[in-house]
Amino acid sequence: MSTTINNSNQYNENLENPSVEAFTTESTENTHEEISHEATLYAEPIAHFGSFTVTNALFTSWIVVLIIIVISIAIRLKIKKVPKGMQNLFEMIIDGATNLCNQVTNDERVTRKAFPIVFAVFMFVLINNWMGIVPLGGLGLIEMTEHGKAFIPLIRSGTADINGTLPLAILSVLGANLFGVFSIGLWKTFNKYVNLKALGGIFTKIRKDPMVLLTAPIMVFVSALELIGEFAKIASLSFRLFGNVFAGEVLLASMAALIAYLLPTPFLLLEVMVGVIQAFIFAILTLVYYTIASQDHDEEHDEKDHAEKLAGAH
Amino acid sequence: MDSFISTFHIDWKIIIAQAINFIIVFLVLYFLAIKPLKKIMSERTETIEKGLNDAKENALVIENSRKEYEKVINDARAEAHVIFQEGKKEAEAKKAQILEDAKVQVEGMIASGKKTLENEKARMVDEAKTEIVSLVVKATEKLLEQTADSKLDEKLAKQVKDIK
Repeated sequence: MSTTINNSNQYNENLENPSVEAFTTESTENTHEEISHEATLYAEPIAHFGSFTVTNALFTSWIVVLIIIVISIAIRLKIKKVPKGMQNLFEMIIDGATNLCNQVTNDERVTRKAFPIVFAVFMFVLINNWMGIVPLGGLGLIEMTEHGKAFIPLIRSGTADINGTLPLAILSVLGANLFGVFSIGLWKTFNKYVNLKALGGIFTKIRKDPMVLLTAPIMVFVSALELIGEFAKIASLSFRLFGNVFAGEVLLASMAALIAYLLPTPFLLLEVMVGVIQAFIFAILTLVYYTIASQDHDEEHDEKDHAEKLAGAH
Repeated sequence: MDSFISTFHIDWKIIIAQAINFIIVFLVLYFLAIKPLKKIMSERTETIEKGLNDAKENALVIENSRKEYEKVINDARAEAHVIFQEGKKEAEAKKAQILEDAKVQVEGMIASGKKTLENEKARMVDEAKTEIVSLVVKATEKLLEQTADSKLDEKLAKQVKDIK
């Protein structure tokens, strides 16, 4: 079983020639021709609907969506004023998560608005992460590639594909900025990235404070950096999650290739923890972005100026 | 950029599909799990707070009722004591009155009894005298063996009466 990362153009060939031969398990390895088990950097296609390609990561995400729908419907149907059994657990999770969010935001109003999104992010990422380590790795397809027969697993964590983590990161950052627009207004949010206020200040404050000629361009530059920072946030969020989950899958495959029994067990447990931690990091960072977006820095400066003026007057 | 896209096989269609997946997850979780759970949890919190407040108020009401009850009981006891004392005094007075009345009545009865006895005694004495006179007359007649006339009889009878 080889575990090399294949970044060839095999994907495109697969798209053009999706010759699915059979569903298989790992026991089919010892057939007359050797089947390669490669952990690829991208999600492999498993079906095509016209021009739309369904990858194994997307398929896993659909399973995750289904699981969450089933759990949510079960909660909705079983919900009672006097909680019993599983409702206690869900209430404990919701309550604990809300308290944690309150500690991060320090503002119940922000928590109330951001919590549903942050919790959805956490659940989606967590179950996706765990789906990558469920023992269904043997379920898949055997396809013909230019290097011979290749095994394509049906289950691959949705977060072990950059196409899965990128939309999450984009939605998080975009959502945070939208939240900022609704919290502090469009003008203030816009000025965070294109500081027209500082530019305008050159003309209005130059007589009072000539230093504005020096500070205003710096502020404009800093705001431009903020704009770049938003893209950096998307990149860091998506690649951190993708890298960790993909590395975990490669690690598990490598350990299983060395010794199939017992050796992967501690690493499986490690990956369970990594799954939780990565989901937690993603969710908390999203919450932090929401909190930052809801804060008006100008107001703080204005308050400081006002306090200084008051102190000066006394 | 192209090498980045080809290396990671970035496909905008899959990105949109994954974004839709997340939006579905968010909507489902929000409307079927988070919102109803939060609602029921806040309702429960309100119920518990109301219950605690009611319990406090009830405890206060019970305490006040207990105090009022004790006050009423103490007042009733005091009043009962006063009534009892008054009743006792009244009963004693009545008892004394009854005893006095009874004494007077008994004394009256004794006096009347005495009088009746004396009258009876006098009547008996008179009757005895009359009988004695008659007996004496008869005895005298017999002794003298002579029949005296009626005038003599009366004279004798008068003399016998006067003897007394």
